[in-house]
Amino acid sequence: MPAPRHPQESDPLRGSIDLLVLKALALEPMHGWGIGLRIGQISNGRLDVNQGSLYPALQRLEHRGWIESDWQSTENNRRARYYALTKAGRKALGEEVEKWHRFAETMALVLDS
Amino acid sequence: MSHLKGLRARLRSVFASRKSESRMEEEFEFHVEMETKRLVIEEGLAESEARRRALVAFGGLDSYREQMRDGRGVRWFSDLWADVRYALRAMRRAPGFAIAVAVTLGLGIGVNGMVFGYADSLLFRKVPARDAEQLVSLFGVDPKTKQPNLISYGDFVAYRDKSGVFDGFAGMTGIPLNVAMTGSAEVADMVWGEMVTENFFSVLGMTPVVGRLFTANDAPQGANPFAVLSYESWTRRFGGDPSVVGRRIRINGSEFTIVGVAPRGFRGMRSFGFWPEIWVPIGMHDVALPNSARLLEGHGEGGLMTVGRLRRGVDLALTERAASRFAKQIATEHPAANPAESVMIIPAAVGFDNPAFVKPAVLFLASAMGVFASIVTLVIICANLANLQLSRLAQRSGEIAIRLSLGCSRARLTRQMVVESAVLAIPGVIIAAGILRLGPLIESSLAPHLQFRVGFGASVDSRVALFTAGIALVAIVLFGLVPALKASGAGSLSILIGAKRTSTGRRQRLRGVLVVSQLALSVILLVGATLFVRSMLIARGADLGFDPRHRALMSVNVALQGYDEARGRRFFDETLDRVRAMPNVVSAAWGFPVPFDTYGRTLALYIEGAETRSKDGTISISASTGSDGFVGALGLPLLAGREFTMGDSANAPLVMMVSERLARRLWPGKNPIGQRARRGGPTGPEITVVGVLGDAKFESLGPPTQARLYVPLRQRYRDLQTLIVHTRDDAAAAIPKLRRVVVAADPTLPVFGAMTMEQSVENGFSISRTAASVAGFFGGLAILISSVGLYAVVASRVQERTREIGVRVALGSTPRDVMVLVMASGARLGLIGLTIGLIGAAAVARTLGALLYGMSPADPFTFALVPVALATIVLVATYFPARRAVKLDPIEALRNE
Repeated sequence: MPAPRHPQESDPLRGSIDLLVLKALALEPMHGWGIGLRIGQISNGRLDVNQGSLYPALQRLEHRGWIESDWQSTENNRRARYYALTKAGRKALGEEVEKWHRFAETMALVLDS
Repeated sequence: MSHLKGLRARLRSVFASRKSESRMEEEFEFHVEMETKRLVIEEGLAESEARRRALVAFGGLDSYREQMRDGRGVRWFSDLWADVRYALRAMRRAPGFAIAVAVTLGLGIGVNGMVFGYADSLLFRKVPARDAEQLVSLFGVDPKTKQPNLISYGDFVAYRDKSGVFDGFAGMTGIPLNVAMTGSAEVADMVWGEMVTENFFSVLGMTPVVGRLFTANDAPQGANPFAVLSYESWTRRFGGDPSVVGRRIRINGSEFTIVGVAPRGFRGMRSFGFWPEIWVPIGMHDVALPNSARLLEGHGEGGLMTVGRLRRGVDLALTERAASRFAKQIATEHPAANPAESVMIIPAAVGFDNPAFVKPAVLFLASAMGVFASIVTLVIICANLANLQLSRLAQRSGEIAIRLSLGCSRARLTRQMVVESAVLAIPGVIIAAGILRLGPLIESSLAPHLQFRVGFGASVDSRVALFTAGIALVAIVLFGLVPALKASGAGSLSILIGAKRTSTGRRQRLRGVLVVSQLALSVILLVGATLFVRSMLIARGADLGFDPRHRALMSVNVALQGYDEARGRRFFDETLDRVRAMPNVVSAAWGFPVPFDTYGRTLALYIEGAETRSKDGTISISASTGSDGFVGALGLPLLAGREFTMGDSANAPLVMMVSERLARRLWPGKNPIGQRARRGGPTGPEITVVGVLGDAKFESLGPPTQARLYVPLRQRYRDLQTLIVHTRDDAAAAIPKLRRVVVAADPTLPVFGAMTMEQSVENGFSISRTAASVAGFFGGLAILISSVGLYAVVASRVQERTREIGVRVALGSTPRDVMVLVMASGARLGLIGLTIGLIGAAAVARTLGALLYGMSPADPFTFALVPVALATIVLVATYFPARRAVKLDPIEALRNE
């Protein structure tokens, strides 16, 4: 494929993973497993995504410049890749949340009518 | 900022591929480990079961690996590499095709780049000056004829110092210079030089390669014997030695010191002129040209070319108006000088020439032809390549259809086609680069060998390279992308289902059109080439009117050496005596100009009652001076009367010989011997005809042979003379001996134009030979490529019609029928191409008329030969596919489908 696709345009599910990752990272930098864990906690286990699909999403977000990553040690002194929101990422999170709400409202409007 | 960060991450992942892989593995492993640990602790599972569950929760490891690789763009690159390998394999499988593409593309691109290089250096390349686009040249406009004139030194000084029109204004004038290294006879040579005002180089804003250029200190008259060398002269004569600065040389008999070397690529400001090798300050005029008219005075029309720099923010039109106002002012101050009342200012960024000087029509037409031929050739080549690609596509249509139906995206397929074309094109581009480098070498063999160097100064610079790369790109897109788009367009699926006829029909038509246009263009080039070659052969066979065999030539200019007339006469007499005393010499004489000389000279005659258009009633006639023995030395036929003898001295009555044509023109029906005329005007000295010579070609081979007049050297002393020596055997062997005779008389006197008469005649052929070889090259190239194209089309038609032919044979068609069937399809294309081509060729031939000697542009021989040649080529190109069709086994052919 010549260019990576923009997920929010072609695939709503993938887009929502991106949004969830951004949201999870809004609090503090975290490694991939931790992000998955946090998404599970926030959603009370209701969002059950394949854990592996986090990593292509992380790569995508990093390429877009919304998150950055580096190696750090965990509390157990284990080396792990930690991801953190960039300034642009924080801004994007706001916009994406806004967009998501509008989308949900529209869907609700259509479905309830 | 975020984009930058993202980009960095992206580049890292593409270029540090191994690092990204290991990072990915480490992250996956960490994730699974953490999840395993969580399951062991929170759910109390056994270690192995926990790991299994963790892996399941993670999902397909391999599929995420691939997703991430895709995301990194790794896939794109590995696919590209696969495409390249695939293309290379295809190339190995069909090496003939690959070689055909490489050679045709290489020739096409290379030759086009070369022709552009010539055109670029002739028309577009700026002189190596600072802000060259600000440079202009000023000419005075003759108040009566409205023709642009060179200006006098007095006017030049006025414009420079008082007009305030220019931001710097310089002047120059070209002269031949006798140059000798002090104390060394070997390097005595006559070179083209320019005398320039001391501000010449500073107006141009040039910096020297070594040493210095002229400065304001070089202004005082007669006090600055300094010379600046051209870069070309410096490398050729002095091997680029920087210690040349400070060396002394003799110029026209006086000592000068070399002070510096001009920038590389600077060949003077004139676009159509000899290349100056040496510049000297114009203040040295009286030293360099001791016996000539004074250049550094006077007003009105003069001998200076000028170059000025526009003032900042003032455009050319405004400058011209201001300078014209100033010209009126000069005119009122010097009314006697027939002063110009307005001026003409022309841009000089790429060099300039007198606007009245008509660019040699032949040169212009020849370069137009060259550009036309090379563009046509490129079109033919691209059409051919597209055609070859299309024919391969036809063979591969099955493969393509299968790939499309298996889900290969069109973009992916197109990319593969473009990669294949690019891979095919690379060897061609390499060949093109090689040809491009030959350009300057070929130029030196094409440029006429005149006494001084001329040419375009073609070189391979970035512009030429860029242009060539541009052509290459266009060619690749044209022959790669277009067929690729066609392939991925509608109809591919139908190939798979077997509905073959419709789509191939359309493609066949396109390819037919391509081949027909190739053939038509080839016919045009071929007709042009045949006309040129025929014209040259006819010219060669023409009677010259003199005998060029066993004749050696060698010229001197004794005035440049500072000889006065008495010393010059002594030199001519003594040299002639010594030469005549040499063994092997049949006869020898001085004469000027000799046939096919660079120069021409005329003499004005006044004849009572003769018709003339000139104001003073004289007739201007091409004339040569000759010593006694001139007629025999040149091998001219003496038809009546006598030739010059020692008795025709300065004190004897003036005599002349006339050519037969001149005799008929001036004294029709009368015996020309004893007829009289006056030299120079009605009050000039009387001059009597003593001999009539046969007509001879002196200036060019073209008709008509000019009327000509000969006067004795003793009665009309001229300082530039050519020694003509008739030898018993090989004339070339005599030249070094003749040189020694001159060196013995004066070791610092340069001889020039030393060659045999046959070589000199060859020089006269140089333009027609160049035209013939260029046209022949393009014509041959075009027809060769077109025949390959025709072959490819017919061959692929045979392949596509395999089943049809098989059916025909099975139903009883004889081999002859099949042969006719196949060849007829090729012949039809050939016939259409020939017809269109001949119509085009007739039009092109008409414009070539001026270049052709001794034949009409509608030469029946040419227009008969080209169709025959084309028919032969069509037959050969279609014969081989036809033979393959005949040899088809009908059973095999049917099973094939």
